[in-house]
Amino acid sequence: MASIPLPTAKHSLPSLLHAQTPKTLLSQKLPNLPKSFQSQFCGVKLSHSSNFAVPSSFKKSSILAKVSKGSVAPSFSLKDQDGKTVSLSKFKGKPVVVYFYPADETPGCTKQACAFRDSYEKFKKAGAEVIGISGDDPSSHKAFAKKYRLPFTLLSDEGNKVRKDWGVPADLFGTLPGRQTYVLDKNGVVQLIYNNQFQPEKHIDETLKFLQSA
Amino acid sequence: MFAEVAPMSAFPHLRSLHHVNQCHYLSPPSHIYRSITTTTTKSRRRHPEPLVVDLPWVLNTSTPATTTIALDEPSLQSTDPPPVLKRSSPVTTTSMLNDPSLKSTWSHRAWVASGCTTVLVSLAKSVTGAADSGTWLQPILAGVVGYVLADLGSGVYHWGIDNYGNENTPVFGSQIEAFQGHHKWPWIITRRQFANNLHALARAVSFTVLPIDLIFNDPVLHGFVSVCSGCIMFSQQFHAWAHSTKSKLHPLVVALQDAGVLVSRSMHGAHHRPPYDSNYCIVSGVWNELLDTYKVFEALEMILFFKLGVRPRSWSEPSSNWTEETDTSSLIAEL
Repeated sequence: MASIPLPTAKHSLPSLLHAQTPKTLLSQKLPNLPKSFQSQFCGVKLSHSSNFAVPSSFKKSSILAKVSKGSVAPSFSLKDQDGKTVSLSKFKGKPVVVYFYPADETPGCTKQACAFRDSYEKFKKAGAEVIGISGDDPSSHKAFAKKYRLPFTLLSDEGNKVRKDWGVPADLFGTLPGRQTYVLDKNGVVQLIYNNQFQPEKHIDETLKFLQSA
Repeated sequence: MFAEVAPMSAFPHLRSLHHVNQCHYLSPPSHIYRSITTTTTKSRRRHPEPLVVDLPWVLNTSTPATTTIALDEPSLQSTDPPPVLKRSSPVTTTSMLNDPSLKSTWSHRAWVASGCTTVLVSLAKSVTGAADSGTWLQPILAGVVGYVLADLGSGVYHWGIDNYGNENTPVFGSQIEAFQGHHKWPWIITRRQFANNLHALARAVSFTVLPIDLIFNDPVLHGFVSVCSGCIMFSQQFHAWAHSTKSKLHPLVVALQDAGVLVSRSMHGAHHRPPYDSNYCIVSGVWNELLDTYKVFEALEMILFFKLGVRPRSWSEPSSNWTEETDTSSLIAEL
């Protein structure tokens, strides 16, 4: 297996962000701070740059690299809230918003889920599907979805395997599972990554804005 | 049809509807309330017997048009026979207000005295040390730091007690139960006598400050310790003042609240609104905005949840033990 590592998002962050949104300038001024520290309050957004090209051999080779913009998101098969196995490949052909969140029935995650619910029609109008992923089991997802009338799929990433595969960074020195959202285009290529632990509603604003402008 | 309801003295579980939009805490209003009819405004007479109150409230009166509610205030005058309001549990209003648990005992007073003594000794050491050395700035600055950190400490402690444990928790069980009761009946704190209110904190301060008094002489350290521990000990008094009404407070206290030196009534009132997860600091409240804006307590709660599996109370719908009692006020409002 090829062992050339992809540049991780952490190291490539300053140079990538320099061309990106002003919001992310903070990380360039403080390059030694973990990305997750800033993302908690300011949010960190990585958008697709047209100059960025990842050689196709890199995309498939390194299983240690995080999923970054421009890369094809690794496939997964997880159980949804009804216990049915759902694969990411099922959604190919349309944009998908995959949002990783810490846990069901926590304040931030509830706000985020409800915000996705309230804007769900707008996501559908943009042709996109929404998938939420956390480490909770299907029964927890079922109760959570029922309580808040969530119309989209929640997947159980038990053991947080997919979270690790995708390289979702943890927050607060590794104590909290990170809150990171990916927007995949219809070919399954990551076009946007947004991270913000304590302002969950912003995930909806940012992803919707991106989808509507695409 | 709706009128202001009786002061808390007669109806402890009634909310002052006069204050619904202004204040968000229960407190005994300072003035007499009007009748529950749309037309009659009468002064009241002291009811000669303890008013029996049972839940649910049922107003038994033969003259609904002129029904008045007798109030337990000596200045009240009434010309109508007072109605009897019944609840299903036999608790009397006067007994609630005269509850011995609200009164100061000699033990309470002794602890408050000892707490004050330790704080004053520390303050004296700071002042004399500063006078001897001629440097006043550092001890004063240390005092300011003590005042600021006392507010933070009050918030952290309050957050912990409000969200975790129960009456069976070792050491803190009784405090937790008291805080829970406070959320249900916030106004009772204004009825507690001074030493009753402060004695628990005074005891903690006595044990903490006494060794510092005995061991250390540094004026800067004592500047910090005396102000910090003094503010912590008196935080319950500041808290009680934050539950009171403006008209009942000394103008100096109101001025200090308005200036942000002491926690304000409105800021603390925000803590008593669901989901009860903000504005935890009760000395000056200077940390509240920062802690709430940056979701510091939410972050701590998330960490504790993921590391220890414990959920804080503020994440769940408040139980009936926690929610402020307002049932009776709405029933009265419907009459």
